[in-house]
Amino acid sequence: MTTTSEPGMTLDTPFAPVPDADDPRRGKEVYAPANAPFEAPAAFVPGPYYKGVEERMPDLAERASAPAEVVLSGAPSTSQFSLGRRDFMKLFSASTVAATSACVQRPVERAIPFVQQPVDQWPGEPVNYATTCGDCAAGCGVMVKTREGRPTKVEGLPEHPVSAGRLCAVGQASLQGLFHPERQSQPLVRFGAKWQETAWTDVYQHLASKITDPSKVAILTNGATGHRHGFFREFLEKIGGSPNHLYTYEANSLAESIAAAHQLAYGVAAIPRAELNQAKLVVGIGADFLDVGTSLIYHTRTYTDGHAFRGDGKGRHVQFESSLSLTGGRADERFTIPPGSETLVTLLLAKALLKNGKSKGSAGARAQISTVLSDKASLLSGGYDRVGITEAAFDQLAADLLEAPALVMAGGSAAFDENATALQLAAVFANELIGAYDTTLQLQKDWATAPVVPGDLARFLTDAKGFEVLFVIDADPLFTLPPAWGVEALLKAIPHVVTLGDFPTETAVLADHKLNTHHWLESWGDEQSIAGLWSVRQPTVRPTTDSRQTEDILMWVAAGLNKPLGYEDYRDYLKKKWAAIRTLIGRNNVPEDLYFDLVLQHGFDGRDSTQTLPSFSSSVAQAFQYKDDSSAGLRLIAPLDFRLRDGRHAHKPVLQETADTMTTITWDTWVALSPATTAKLGLRKFDVVKVEGPGGSFEASVYPLPGLHANAVVVPRGNGHTKESGIVQGGNGINPLVALAKATDAITGAVVTAGQPVKITATGRVFPLAQLQKHNDIANRKDIIKTVALATAVANTGKTQDLDDVPDLYPALPKKEHRWGMSIDLSRCTGCNACVVACFTENNIPQVGREQVMLGRQMHWIQIDRYFSGAVEAPEVTLQPMLCQHCTHAPCEPVCPVFATTHDPEGVNTMTYNRCIGTRYCANACPYKVRRFNWWTHRWNQLGARLQDRNPRALNPDVTVRTRGVMEKCSFCYQRVRDGRHKEKINKIPVGQPGNIVKTACQQTCPADAITFGNLLDTASPASVLRRDLRAYMALNGEPAEKEYGLKTLPNVSYLAKVVFKTAAGEGEHHGGKVDHDAGGAPHHEGAEHEAAPHEGK
Amino acid sequence: MRPAISRSLVPMLVFLLSLLSLAVSQPAQAWWMYTPGDTVDNVGYQPKQPIPFSHKLHAGEKEIPCQYCHSSARRSTAAGIPPLNTCMGCHRLVDPEHNLIKQVAEHYKNNDPIQWIKVHDLPDFVRFSHKIHVNAGLECQGCHGKVQDMDVVSQVAPLQMGWCIGCHKTKGAKIDCVACHY
Repeated sequence: MTTTSEPGMTLDTPFAPVPDADDPRRGKEVYAPANAPFEAPAAFVPGPYYKGVEERMPDLAERASAPAEVVLSGAPSTSQFSLGRRDFMKLFSASTVAATSACVQRPVERAIPFVQQPVDQWPGEPVNYATTCGDCAAGCGVMVKTREGRPTKVEGLPEHPVSAGRLCAVGQASLQGLFHPERQSQPLVRFGAKWQETAWTDVYQHLASKITDPSKVAILTNGATGHRHGFFREFLEKIGGSPNHLYTYEANSLAESIAAAHQLAYGVAAIPRAELNQAKLVVGIGADFLDVGTSLIYHTRTYTDGHAFRGDGKGRHVQFESSLSLTGGRADERFTIPPGSETLVTLLLAKALLKNGKSKGSAGARAQISTVLSDKASLLSGGYDRVGITEAAFDQLAADLLEAPALVMAGGSAAFDENATALQLAAVFANELIGAYDTTLQLQKDWATAPVVPGDLARFLTDAKGFEVLFVIDADPLFTLPPAWGVEALLKAIPHVVTLGDFPTETAVLADHKLNTHHWLESWGDEQSIAGLWSVRQPTVRPTTDSRQTEDILMWVAAGLNKPLGYEDYRDYLKKKWAAIRTLIGRNNVPEDLYFDLVLQHGFDGRDSTQTLPSFSSSVAQAFQYKDDSSAGLRLIAPLDFRLRDGRHAHKPVLQETADTMTTITWDTWVALSPATTAKLGLRKFDVVKVEGPGGSFEASVYPLPGLHANAVVVPRGNGHTKESGIVQGGNGINPLVALAKATDAITGAVVTAGQPVKITATGRVFPLAQLQKHNDIANRKDIIKTVALATAVANTGKTQDLDDVPDLYPALPKKEHRWGMSIDLSRCTGCNACVVACFTENNIPQVGREQVMLGRQMHWIQIDRYFSGAVEAPEVTLQPMLCQHCTHAPCEPVCPVFATTHDPEGVNTMTYNRCIGTRYCANACPYKVRRFNWWTHRWNQLGARLQDRNPRALNPDVTVRTRGVMEKCSFCYQRVRDGRHKEKINKIPVGQPGNIVKTACQQTCPADAITFGNLLDTASPASVLRRDLRAYMALNGEPAEKEYGLKTLPNVSYLAKVVFKTAAGEGEHHGGKVDHDAGGAPHHEGAEHEAAPHEGK
Repeated sequence: MRPAISRSLVPMLVFLLSLLSLAVSQPAQAWWMYTPGDTVDNVGYQPKQPIPFSHKLHAGEKEIPCQYCHSSARRSTAAGIPPLNTCMGCHRLVDPEHNLIKQVAEHYKNNDPIQWIKVHDLPDFVRFSHKIHVNAGLECQGCHGKVQDMDVVSQVAPLQMGWCIGCHKTKGAKIDCVACHY
């Protein structure tokens, strides 16, 4: 082509120049061609698995012409919001590399040694502290890895009986709470309308001067099981107030209702410790013990111990629920019941149990139960039709429950309706009849303690008017209670409100003193979440802000009142309390002054506790109150989000960016409706609807979720914080509680947060949500997800295969001592996302924010993919953690023009960040879609005044921080592998031997033990044993047994097919829980000839 | 419609731009690369330290073994600058009246660490572990030069990747990218 500037040249010519930015023909800047996808979608191939309801019901798919700018009324526009948040993510994550401009001198680096180096610490080597997690009341023992005085990773404490070395997503994210840049740096005191930064000594004096009548001082605090509440009571007493003015409150009122039910039935406000591993049949009724529950790690751990495939069988799990929880997703059989009918279902089950001749339970209990059931006879006889389950099904289930060690788990954060305590009582009935107490439910031995006193919140709401000074400690009643309760007016009426917490809350806005306290990683404390098991909490870092220990503040206030408590500080108080524990446990052989230090080293101490229960209370039938509401219609269910819980973790970007497993939605709130209801209302995915409840209304986008009851409107809690509350959570999503009217539990008077009728209307607007797992359809590929029928799996136990034995034209890899590989058991994964957050923290992965996720630029090295199969009304859910598969023949490697991604002779597909020039060819070539590109440089730190502040905080110093333009992906936690190899060379302990076990971050934290990493060349290593298992398969690698090898990428990651009673393809007979009841698990097919191919779907 | 830029101008522009960028980047690169050391690979970098500590005196004349003070080297990824309590361990008794020792003692008393200037500095995308090299029996001098002869420490080895690989090849150590980059 020659000169081209002549006018009249049109854009139709093939060499038309790109119009200038302000040329109107260019249109609005878009990330993809405005009216067409990058490539024409391939014809949809239906298969047994689908990733969203739109693959089954195309009419529910997102509107194609969705204008992306349309946002919720009242919410800030997406673009404003996006810039703010993106900048903030850069700030959060942080560090300008101004290096491209020429005017920067090579920096002079300094080396600053200790003045006094502790004898056992070496710069560059981690120091671990045992402490106790404070992010919920479960009291998991944790081990905090610190480097040069900074926590860099939180892991479960291996010896701890609750956590056993595992940790949930929330615990893994705690470092972001500690190092959050929006933590308050100074105590604030309100003078008129202004906040004044005040010195701590003045705060104490000022506060003491406000207390004129100590009997009108009250404390509202969150749940805890250690000495904390006792200390608060002591404080109230010592200053001359009433210890009854301590009010404990948890938004997760499950523990409260369970404790209340046991108080009524057995006279102890305790929670029976569920030994799910002992139960061969678990019946969950609206239960969410694998989502939030009362002790997530303990339940997930014991559940998968008993319910994942063990080689000779597996436990059975039957779930009744109206939403689709992670717990329900794991169930072997799932009954969809109308919202609010959990209690009815439990009573129907109790009825069936009572009828059964084999049922157990004391005579007194049976009399009480039969009184309750006969009182409700008419309700129950009509109940079968209402819940849509036949009497025969209940009878069968009752028979199954009585046949084996079993238990009923009822209630979850989604079932806090007016009958929440009635539901727990009904579950007590069922469990009493099963004989679960003292076999699978421990109430007399090592029971779980209640973190709150039942009825405290109801008491608070009535008493609050009379208070003069109220301390709100670590609680956020304003956000976590429905506004209909008028908490705002209540708090405003109290002359002096003091909020204490490690992060500013909504309630703090109303405070007169807004005091910043230590994060739990900076605090002293303890927990006793299981009776007789005391775990200690100790600081792992010097306070990062000018904060104080909560209890110390109260001590200073008491001192200001001239009524000192008589302790040096809270540590001193704990030391005294632990001296008593020492006597109680009988550690008299350990000198008293040494004991506390030993406990700090060990993290916990304990002994078995026993209590004798009084006989079943004879007033239960009288106390049992059931509020029946037979009206059909949509009902609001507002469960706690398993990531954000009641909203107290919403300020942590890593939790916002971790997707909700069932919807794969990040960063937002959605209204989940059943596909049928969505269709009936004429809605589509991401249509904005107005949800009107008796107390108010809110707007959010619809997400049609398979498996929901037609009347269920499921809106997770956790988001919806005010814009001012912070840049991560502010203005993000909505809080469904606004729709609720004032209602109380029929028995305890606790605040109800679910089950009220709502009306849904379309607004005509669309608000797309940021979703993960949006790749094209899976085209009926049978080698992504595999399931195997239980009988086949049992028969195949012990048989082996060689996944690597495939015809191959490539030269063999050099034989080394190691070949790293991973095995992931789909039978175990519960979708809790702990691995995802652990990976983010371990590998310095940035969070990118909602808008970038919508563009597909999320940075997850590992994500949980979920696939549905079966009818949209009753789907089977299969979860698959997807990460770099470390292919032996990796498609990403040959396409890299600069050898930035290469193959290590030890089997790892490696990424050399400093070689990468960002062509992204590898990401295009990767069939697993696990390579991530840095579209932005994320700064990791703000520079402080001191030189030390340049050290990036909360970063793992063992992993390179990537900058813009660099590709990254899972590295098999190579830093940990290297540590292991170094140990092997220096200490002569081979990797994999006790003392030198290398675990990846995801494996270490997995509460379900789904992930196993190790040396595949060591035939004894667990990873290699599992790879030879007949259930093992490699994703997208065909059916090797049928000489069909798929992509033949030969990954070093292998999956173990999910074991189900009945596969999607119809293989396997439903045994009604009988297979696993064969004590020895002896397969019926012993000696019979079996096909080698264990998998379904030929 | 706006007239498009004459296409014949484009190569010309590209050429001019590249000339310009060369003109800018060369001195810039020079400044970046040649300071604070003298050469591209920083060999000869000899910064002035806050307190003129002499390795020649301690390691040379007095023959104190390297790892007596740098005791992290065999235990940790970082060799570590000795903490002040290591210095004071001897200097509480040895020559406490010396002007420089007094300065050190002052830092020690005030709990104020001395901010030494790092001489041997690897890029942040390189992972180097002292303990594995020390435990393999390598001499400190192999990489750090004859420190016992230096009054003021300077960088002797280039610490560039080729130099690392050279030694790794000779010794039969791992030479995969992931050995150092992860």
